[in-house]
Amino acid sequence: MTSAMHASRLDHAPPQADWSSDPEFAVLTLTGTWTVHSLQHVPILHVPTTQTIRILSQISAFDSAAAMVLARWLRQWRAAGITVDVSQMPERERTLLELLDARLVDTVPERTRRTSLLAVIGESAVRQWDEARQFLGFLGELIWRGVPLVLTFWRIRWSVVIAEVEAAGVRALGIVGLLSFMIGMVMAYQGGATLSNYGANILIVNLVGIITLREMGPLLAAIIVAGRTGSSYTAQLGTMRITEEIDALRALGVPPFEILVFPKVIALVVTLPLLSLFADLMGLLGGAVVANYGYGVSFAVYFDRIPDVITVTTLWLGLIKAPVFAIVIALIGCMQGLRVRGSASEVGRATTVSVVQAIFMVIVIDAVFSVLYNLMGY
Amino acid sequence: MMDAHPDSDLVIDARGLVNQFGSHRVHDDLDFQLRRGRVMALVGGSGSGKTVLLHTLIMLRQATAGQLHLFGVDIQTADEATRQSLRERIGVLFQGGALFTSLTVLENVLMPIKEHGRFDPQWLNELGMSKILLAGLPADSADKYPMELSGGMVKRAALARALALDPELLVLDEPTSGLDPIGAAAFDDLIHTLSESLGLTVLQVTHDLDSIWRGVDEVAFLARKKVLAIGTAVELAARDEPELAAYFRGTRSEAYWAAAMRKAQDDGAPVAPHIIGTQA
Repeated sequence: MTSAMHASRLDHAPPQADWSSDPEFAVLTLTGTWTVHSLQHVPILHVPTTQTIRILSQISAFDSAAAMVLARWLRQWRAAGITVDVSQMPERERTLLELLDARLVDTVPERTRRTSLLAVIGESAVRQWDEARQFLGFLGELIWRGVPLVLTFWRIRWSVVIAEVEAAGVRALGIVGLLSFMIGMVMAYQGGATLSNYGANILIVNLVGIITLREMGPLLAAIIVAGRTGSSYTAQLGTMRITEEIDALRALGVPPFEILVFPKVIALVVTLPLLSLFADLMGLLGGAVVANYGYGVSFAVYFDRIPDVITVTTLWLGLIKAPVFAIVIALIGCMQGLRVRGSASEVGRATTVSVVQAIFMVIVIDAVFSVLYNLMGY
Repeated sequence: MMDAHPDSDLVIDARGLVNQFGSHRVHDDLDFQLRRGRVMALVGGSGSGKTVLLHTLIMLRQATAGQLHLFGVDIQTADEATRQSLRERIGVLFQGGALFTSLTVLENVLMPIKEHGRFDPQWLNELGMSKILLAGLPADSADKYPMELSGGMVKRAALARALALDPELLVLDEPTSGLDPIGAAAFDDLIHTLSESLGLTVLQVTHDLDSIWRGVDEVAFLARKKVLAIGTAVELAARDEPELAAYFRGTRSEAYWAAAMRKAQDDGAPVAPHIIGTQA
């Protein structure tokens, strides 16, 4: 039964069901408030041994939640071969009870969930395999459709490309610049602390220059773009799928690939190398500031030495990775977006997956490049 | 805080309502009353402010000016707790269903019960199922996600959620739009059955002529920034205002109007232009 304290706070009597016996039939008297707000403990009844049950109601409030409870009891009793007499109940309560009784079904389906560890591992393996295959398929589609488009470059939707370049590139300059500058500073500090012990402060230029140009600049730019732009691609395409805009494009005879995916890929392929170059410059600048004020390598000496330690090859070894990163980021972003089915939370999930996958792939590809460069002797 | 209203039989009592967006006035000095136990259709041309009125009545937007009593409580002076308790007495079916896409149908229905009800947790699933069955959905739809449902099922699932807390007032925004004629008729019947057995008051925005002529007790017609008239479709059709004549005797309503006239002749009674609550 409902605790009296709680009931008084809510200003209504607790729901009660009491048996009293009569020679011929058991009488169930219902009192108190029977609603979705008061039935926090549905009374537990023992089933009487009589052939007939008569229900009397002195209920002060009765709603369909209460009717549902009664209807369930009725079904149990009837299944046990007991006759239930509700004729003494008020008409409104009886109508409600009959409505619920007529509509209830006996089995409440349980959602079947496979929770065994093996099933979870298996499912996730199948999903990963699927995603990998889809990515390859998507890459294939890019080449299949993209090469003819590049050959007929006047048909590319340049206005869309330029808008994407602005969103992905120009608007990212601030954050890419600031972060690269700070990473350059950090490298100079860490390297300088060791190098100054040997009086080799001047080698800060070699350290910062080579690491920035070969690794940090392109990698940092790619990671920022994956987080900033790849995620927005996924969210945009995912939402467009839910609102059936993608289907509308198809129906209008505009291939979504041409107007949505391809311009994004082109835009990133153009933008990311430029952003990497900008990141390189800002990284060098950050290093220069620390070298000048922290380790006595003046700006003049620093920039004078750069051409001696960094060759054009060093720059290219870094920049050549950027278009590859760009293609991977754009493709993962678009693919995850186009895979969205149905719900709003799917868009959120797809966006997360897109960013995680893109950053993961960027770092894997970077590692592959390092190995290749090593084998090639750079 | 709960100042008693003279006429507590009125579920909705709006007087002199004004709704304004910038310089555009949607409602001007609008009066609107809905009695307990009635099933009312709110109709009017596109852009006549039906949805804005609906949103005002269910407290999703604050009217620019005017008085609004819900269940006899003045909502302008009511505090947030009172407004919240009023909201729990109103069930709303939004036009697109507005089901939570990441929850199953059963979870959608249980959401308001878990948030606001105090119901035995062991009986919760049963209660949710009873609402789903009450709304006329098959039992196996309980575990489905909204994206797996057809348009008609989405409406029914949304109805099940609207009914979750046993509201006294059910507000429906175009409940039968997008349903096939058979499904729409069944939905109308369902609303009627529920309103009778649950004692519901129903307010529905609709363009469905079948609902307007056969499915409701009275019709409120929105035009000239006001509720131009309230009455049965036959009563409104008999009036002279050009908007009403066009709506209720126009091409699409012709058959219904003719049928009503024939029936009136057969019954030997004139089509009584006895109109409730005229505000010409």
